[in-house]
Amino acid sequence: MNKIIAFPQVGDYAYPITYLLKHIVRAETLYIPHISSETIELGSRYSPDFVCTPFKYTLGTFIECLELGANVLIQLGGGCRYGYYHELQKEILKNLNYHFTYINLVTEGKTDIKKIIKQFKKIDPKFSILKGLYYLFITKNMVKYMDEIDEYIRYNIGFEQEKNSFLNLKKEMLNSFSKTKGYFSLKRKYRYYKNKFKNIKLKNEPRFQVGIIGELYTVMEPSANYELELELASHGIAIKRYTNATYLLFEKKKKVKKYLKKAKDYIKYKMGADAADNIGRCIELCEEKFDGVIHIKSSFCTPEIGASLIIKKICQKYDMPLLEFSFDTNTSKVGMKTRCEAFVDMIEMRKENEKVLFRN
Amino acid sequence: MKKCYLGIDIGSISTKGVIIDYNNNILAKDYLETNGEPIQAVKKLIKSLKEQLPDDYVLKGIGTTGSARKLIGLMVDASIVKNEITAHAIGTLAIHPDVKTILEIGGQDSKIIILRNGIIVDYSMNTLCAAGTGAFLSSQAKRLSIPIEEFGNMALKSKTPVKIAARCTVFAESDLIHKAGLGYSKEDIIAGLCKSIVLNYLNNLGKGKKIEGPIVFQGGVSKNKGVVKYFKEVLKMPIIVDPNGHLMGAMGMAILAKQKETDKVYNLNFHDISFVTKGEECNRCSNHCEILRIYKDDELVDAWGSKCHRV
Amino acid sequence: MKIGIPRSLYFYYYGDLWLRFFDNLNIETKVTPPTNQEILDLGNKLAQDEMCLSMKIYLGHIAYLKDCDYILIPRIDNFGSNNQTCTNFLSTYDIASNIFPNKILNYNIDLEKKQSEYKGFLKLKKDLNKSKKEIKKAYLKAKEQVAITKKQKIKENIKKLNKDGLKILLVSHPYNSYDEMIGKPIIESLEKLNVQVIYSDLFDEEKARIESKKLSKELYFKYNKENIGSIMLSLKKIDGVIFLSSFPCGPDSLVNELVIRKLNLPTLNLIVDDLSSDSGIQTRIESFVDILEAKNE
Repeated sequence: MNKIIAFPQVGDYAYPITYLLKHIVRAETLYIPHISSETIELGSRYSPDFVCTPFKYTLGTFIECLELGANVLIQLGGGCRYGYYHELQKEILKNLNYHFTYINLVTEGKTDIKKIIKQFKKIDPKFSILKGLYYLFITKNMVKYMDEIDEYIRYNIGFEQEKNSFLNLKKEMLNSFSKTKGYFSLKRKYRYYKNKFKNIKLKNEPRFQVGIIGELYTVMEPSANYELELELASHGIAIKRYTNATYLLFEKKKKVKKYLKKAKDYIKYKMGADAADNIGRCIELCEEKFDGVIHIKSSFCTPEIGASLIIKKICQKYDMPLLEFSFDTNTSKVGMKTRCEAFVDMIEMRKENEKVLFRN
Repeated sequence: MKKCYLGIDIGSISTKGVIIDYNNNILAKDYLETNGEPIQAVKKLIKSLKEQLPDDYVLKGIGTTGSARKLIGLMVDASIVKNEITAHAIGTLAIHPDVKTILEIGGQDSKIIILRNGIIVDYSMNTLCAAGTGAFLSSQAKRLSIPIEEFGNMALKSKTPVKIAARCTVFAESDLIHKAGLGYSKEDIIAGLCKSIVLNYLNNLGKGKKIEGPIVFQGGVSKNKGVVKYFKEVLKMPIIVDPNGHLMGAMGMAILAKQKETDKVYNLNFHDISFVTKGEECNRCSNHCEILRIYKDDELVDAWGSKCHRV
Repeated sequence: MKIGIPRSLYFYYYGDLWLRFFDNLNIETKVTPPTNQEILDLGNKLAQDEMCLSMKIYLGHIAYLKDCDYILIPRIDNFGSNNQTCTNFLSTYDIASNIFPNKILNYNIDLEKKQSEYKGFLKLKKDLNKSKKEIKKAYLKAKEQVAITKKQKIKENIKKLNKDGLKILLVSHPYNSYDEMIGKPIIESLEKLNVQVIYSDLFDEEKARIESKKLSKELYFKYNKENIGSIMLSLKKIDGVIFLSSFPCGPDSLVNELVIRKLNLPTLNLIVDDLSSDSGIQTRIESFVDILEAKNE
């Protein structure tokens, strides 16, 4: 039987993941459908009620992929209970009478390389470690370039003169990246697109700058935050966001120490998953005089519930506007928009008031 | 001719409107149920306001707020469209300039707004679900077969409110049935429900917020004397409930429309315009966006809901 | 010096050890009373709305200890890789230090980084103003005493498996099972119905962890491993299992669901949220016992 691989949808990372798989295993990689309301409905129907939201989203995607013919599922995993999703998801999908191989990459925040290689060899007996390493290197750089350019897009997308110029160019870039032949061709593409993005005409200066911090899946997957970033951009806000694949895979280990140091007046330990990172980031945003902090997570995300209490305290001390979202599968987009609008009004009123006080 | 300004607040349960003069005096006001048809409700509302308005006024601005603010904003060609948090704060400040805390429990939303020196400094809206909102109270009233209008008065009669778990609607309902089955009096159960709504609200929305007086309580649920009583009891502070409290969102919008005034003159003839919305699922990609197209006098004026920005 | 000890969360793993340890050092302690409405209200007021019930109760207990010089709050990260604890065990110290003005007596267990319990206790010498030798002696003596009582308790628990009548295994974390307001009313009503209640935390820990592999190979939460291991150890002798968890417990939400799917035994899944009312939990227990009895006849 032909092997057809599927994995969960997170941001735009389906492009580099597909690229990597295509080159290292002789198996088909499914075109992963976007997360739609149906995906979420499917995922929620077969998940336990009080499990955190990413479980429901990724389960929904898996069911859709299995229906489309996938028979190898790759789950990403993580440092909190995300690392344990796989065993229950496997059982739920088995009970739904699907047949598949299931690979989990990260457990307890760690990756067992040997085990993963063994699993890949099962899919493709001719799997070569050397070839795997070469394409892993290219993919790593692809992710880095994507994240770097995304940072620029995020900060400027609210000010494009011509509507959709950023998103259209991004799509073009991702498609071009997928056709990369080798490392140098990737680097050329990156330079070309970086330049093109810098040349997109902007109409005005940002009204405010806000920073987004929070739980990784909800931060990185637009459907999980109901496209919060685009909503904020539409109000003329420049956005800084910390969590992306580059951070989680290559920088976290080093940076978390920096954040712990920054947060030493508030916390002594890493509080689990990204809680300490987010507390440190919150202080950084306050010190750098951003106009607002937005803390987002999926409902019942334990590490971020604890962090939230301390983030509130920090924002109160620095008199920093704070907006918190706890997204669920049935959050209403209208409600999200209302809260964002009010947040913008609040920042504006505060600024006006500061000006008045200053004049007096 | 004297100038006047219209504010409309279209919520999920009720639609409210006021017309004010330049000095924020109310010239006309009305309140009616939305019944899931915001367009019809607003048409009816404006007809009623028009009848109340003296002849020597000219309309110089319209503002809309509430969950259907954008839709109705298009229909009436509003000069300003704002979210209900800002609208409520502005409206309340006009009547209580020194207010420091606004508690609001509406049909499906509840919010808390903290103000200092007439500026919003913090706010929050309910996160979990509809537990503790007006819609929840109405459904529980129905379950106990008590008219919602009598709910508050009955709650006041209780001396020992029953404890009800009201954090989640599902838990609350099963608990309510359970308590009724055990033979507690209706008064005590209702009082318990009112009290649990207050505790729940403060635990969910009030956490970490500096609740200081003067406190104004608004929204549909502020008409419930039981809930007011327990807010007073738990916060140990006086609670102001304005007879026009439900109009504060509309009031705020009228004031904001006044601030945005231009040369433009508005009219109130909406009764005969054709304003329709057509919903459809777009099948051009896997997003399956639900697109809403809006037609004013058969002309497409806007389309919403697309995730990929095709439309 | 008076050390405040919250009767909640860690207390149900380490209370015995702590009390003996401080007693051996002649240091005065104050333990909070069993959870009551006042403690629950205090906790609800301080906790984040989405925190689990057990955390809310824990914060309520800490608040109750206003007058103590120190409050004892450990931090437990892991007992080696593959033996992790719930995220709350990693963060309670920092959460509490941001809420309460009291000084906190804290030690850290992180075996992955070679921070053992023993090393943690030794570090307390500065705060307690005792010598290393004194601490060592008090700790080792307390450990010895605790081991004897624990063995005795396990023995009694396992003895119940051979008694007559209906036997139900209560699978829960000890801070829920033995809490005055969470587990106690449930246990009392089971005992009133003449059910032998067997506790999931009173089995040989290591044996339980090994047995747990039969249900879940890759589980890395220590306490959940021991819980489900207890099911495998008693499987043949029990009539049913009651899962008791506090809403919305992270590890339980995944692990209990998995076990219920795999297990071929009558189960009742109780998730407790708001304690201001029992929401028909009694009714569910009674009907569960009725079903088990009918099955036995």
